[in-house]
Amino acid sequence: MKIRIDKAACVGNARCWAVSEELFPLDDDGYIDIEEFEVPAGKEDLARRGARACPERVIQVIED
Amino acid sequence: MTEAATASEPAPIPGHIPESVVYDFDMFRDPAYLADPHKRVIDLLENAPPVFWTPRNGGHWMLVSHAANFEAARDCEDFSSEVLPYKEMEALLDQLADETGRVPRAYPINLDPPLHGIYRKPLQGVFSPRTINTMQEQIRAMACDLLDAVAGKGGCEFMSAVAEPLPVKVFLRMLGMPEDKYPEYRALVRAHLDAQALPGAEGALQRLQKVAQAMRDTIEERRDERRDDIISMLWGVEIDGRATTQEDLENYGVLLFIAGLDTVMQGIGLGVRHLAENPALQQRLRDDPSLISKATEELLRRYSFTVPPRRVARDMEFQGVQMKAGERAMLFLPGADLDPREFENPTEVNLEREGAHIAFNAGPHRCLGSHLARVELNILYEELLTRLPQFRLDPDKPPSFNCGHVVGVEQLHLVWGD
Repeated sequence: MKIRIDKAACVGNARCWAVSEELFPLDDDGYIDIEEFEVPAGKEDLARRGARACPERVIQVIED
Repeated sequence: MTEAATASEPAPIPGHIPESVVYDFDMFRDPAYLADPHKRVIDLLENAPPVFWTPRNGGHWMLVSHAANFEAARDCEDFSSEVLPYKEMEALLDQLADETGRVPRAYPINLDPPLHGIYRKPLQGVFSPRTINTMQEQIRAMACDLLDAVAGKGGCEFMSAVAEPLPVKVFLRMLGMPEDKYPEYRALVRAHLDAQALPGAEGALQRLQKVAQAMRDTIEERRDERRDDIISMLWGVEIDGRATTQEDLENYGVLLFIAGLDTVMQGIGLGVRHLAENPALQQRLRDDPSLISKATEELLRRYSFTVPPRRVARDMEFQGVQMKAGERAMLFLPGADLDPREFENPTEVNLEREGAHIAFNAGPHRCLGSHLARVELNILYEELLTRLPQFRLDPDKPPSFNCGHVVGVEQLHLVWGD
């Protein structure tokens, strides 16, 4: 499972980060600091919840 | 008052707007809205078109559905945050300055990209979740002081006792203003609140000047001697590669004042009112305080309370209606977050709900202070539920509300104990 984020469209709500600081790191301004990553095994639910928490809907879950 | 009275008269409907998208709603004075704001929001969702034109207050668009708000909020080119195009506004304010002295600018809330981003950038680190989290204990101490002062009294008017003072105290502390400015700022907030509840901008510039005036000395002091506060931090940042000036600092101070005080206060007021009416929810949160952060989000969604104005920047079709350049459009966020097309059983406060509200707006203008607001709300709810026994509305003094660009609670009389 993969997460892809439209980083340029992030407006800094940081709701994904509130779900998982580890999966969704922020830069010093509080905006998302990662564009794409493989979800580690066992963290799939957390990743999905982080994606759903985004008010801007810029986090895409790509299921295997 | 004359202005308020005449503004409530309906304006003629422009010829390009068909009757099918006209709905009569006065966002400042609608009686049902003032009696119980979010009840009327639900009524609008059921009975008004998702995007409608109201002839009140000079005539303007209301964007009620989630879809309309979400699209418009993210489309800064068509929905401008500049009341007048930037150059026209600057010329006007410069001209006014000759008569009244300099008028502070609340940049970047009233700017469009790319200028918006240039003025917002220096503030982002200051208001990032990580920076804000370092302030939690200070905010908690302030909340505890205010709550302890009323806990033994068996009841209080919660807005003046807690909801209004807390954000003002946090604001003064964060900016590094002396504590003896507190009464002056309470009075300035009061004047701002009273003005918010009226259409028109009468006296707005003078109020902004007073806010800037009240922080001028502190800004000058910090220029030469930095401390651990926001004013000092803002002396150290750059705007588009140049050092900040006294004027920039006053602008930012005014922005933080108008964006960050009454809003937090109303968020607290609306949330606490819901808790007062729902003892079972209070009990659930007391039994399991880890649910409070979820309640904070759900209460923000259930009672979204800001109505940011936009200016239609060009003639266009938007979600089935024809809009013309220069018309005003309100992002009616309370409607967006109660839209049944977006949220199942929207009136239910459901702590298990997933999906994201837009109480802090969407797009580049997303509330800069949202992380601070969340921390203030969360801490306030935590300490309220710890320090007070089950509380309820005073049956003899029902709550009163105010409406406008910020929807909120005027008076909230609570009682607790026997």
